[in-house]
Amino acid sequence: MIVLGIESSCDETAAALVVNGSRILSSEVASQIAVHHRYGGVVPELASRKHMEAIVPVVKAAFKTSGVRYGEIGGIAVTQGPGLTGSLLVGFSFVKSFAFALNLPMVGVNHLEGHINSLFLGTNPPPFPFVALLASGGHTSIYHVRSYTEITQMGQTRDDAAGEAFDKVAKMLGLGYPGGVVIDRLARTGDPGRIVFPRTFLDKSTFDFSFSGLKTAVKRHVQKTGNKYEDQIPDIVAGFQESVVDVLSYKVIRAAKEMRCDHLALVGGVAANSRLRERVEQDAALQGLQVHIPSLDLCGDNAAMIAAAGYHYLIDGNQSDMTEDVYSRLPRF
Amino acid sequence: MIRFTTYSLDETHALGQRIGKSFSNAMVIALTGDLGCGKTALVQGIAKGLDISDDYYITSPTYTFINEYPGRYPLFHVDLYRVEHSDDLENIGFDEILMDDAIVAVEWADKLPKDFLKEHLHVCFETLDDTCRKITITPRGSKAVEVIDQLKSMKEIKWD
Repeated sequence: MIVLGIESSCDETAAALVVNGSRILSSEVASQIAVHHRYGGVVPELASRKHMEAIVPVVKAAFKTSGVRYGEIGGIAVTQGPGLTGSLLVGFSFVKSFAFALNLPMVGVNHLEGHINSLFLGTNPPPFPFVALLASGGHTSIYHVRSYTEITQMGQTRDDAAGEAFDKVAKMLGLGYPGGVVIDRLARTGDPGRIVFPRTFLDKSTFDFSFSGLKTAVKRHVQKTGNKYEDQIPDIVAGFQESVVDVLSYKVIRAAKEMRCDHLALVGGVAANSRLRERVEQDAALQGLQVHIPSLDLCGDNAAMIAAAGYHYLIDGNQSDMTEDVYSRLPRF
Repeated sequence: MIRFTTYSLDETHALGQRIGKSFSNAMVIALTGDLGCGKTALVQGIAKGLDISDDYYITSPTYTFINEYPGRYPLFHVDLYRVEHSDDLENIGFDEILMDDAIVAVEWADKLPKDFLKEHLHVCFETLDDTCRKITITPRGSKAVEVIDQLKSMKEIKWD
């Protein structure tokens, strides 16, 4: 079955056509990174209005690229939350009317479950059960995944997301956007042991995270160092990155051990970080665990992952009706 | 105006909780201060004071712009860090939530055009050292003044 997926929870408007939750026929992302960069910072004119402008062209592009006709799709999946209500509503309302017009089933998908389903779109999908770390600009959480649709959250950040810490540190050092990419590159030229920032493990038995204190520690270091900090930038970012990576790697491996899983996965934008990949691969190998990471283009927000997640709901007979609404936040568990 | 000094994150959190408890009307809280000064920590306390369930973590809204939580009053936690132009306020739906009967906590409120907010509490943070913060709350409008009076009447509250 071919499923059309739509994603509009944050900055990206995306549409994709995916067969059986595993093979991508097309995946279009109208990214607003170009818009951000023009102003030299993380930012502007994104959100709802941009989604409204982008949604129809992006859906048309997904059909055109794949050569699929409307009559060939079996259902539609759309991100229902969490995210910005106004942005989510653009995708969700579009899908309601599209599904109604074509008389197709639709299903609302949790954005975070979408990220986990990005693993099944590649050549190395993990076998169930496994543990997944989702780290991105907006989220940092650990999940126990028993099937495509049985996903339990084990922990999440209590304040900032890991990717947000990367962006904010890059901005305070004047390094530009996107922060994760810049820091990843610069950190290779720095010494991660020269400036040691705190690692916030919280209680070591919890799978929750906290990155707000680390961000503040980097800020205080820069303030105390004065103008000299500019010469230290590679060491600062290497030290910062190592602190994030230490905590993420420790927690995801502990989660896999606790759940007796032999496989673990990294998903979300921060999974593109080369040091995190390297470190988790090393630590996992020592424990006899196998690591699965989606291809780089599927780490960021995209609609193929939403189509993949939605496919599994639809074949189980789960669908949303026209009275459903989007949600901004969900309780933790 | 009322001024506090907090000596730890926990104290900032506790102050937020008392502010949250003191609300008996819809209110906008404008938060200003540098990165890492404790704005989100204060909002976490406010959420607690609004009886928002512990099952919700109050996480940074930097990416999503606006996070909503159900409580004694609904809480909209807004972050304008990524907003550069006043046009964007409409794009993220900020105008709409100001019309709701809710508590609206706005981080990086200094990005708003001057006099954009009518009745509100302005909470200004200054970083004194690694853990110590000076927090100054200035009311604008009669309902905001009532919140300050309510805070001053709380026995457990000590101000500078």
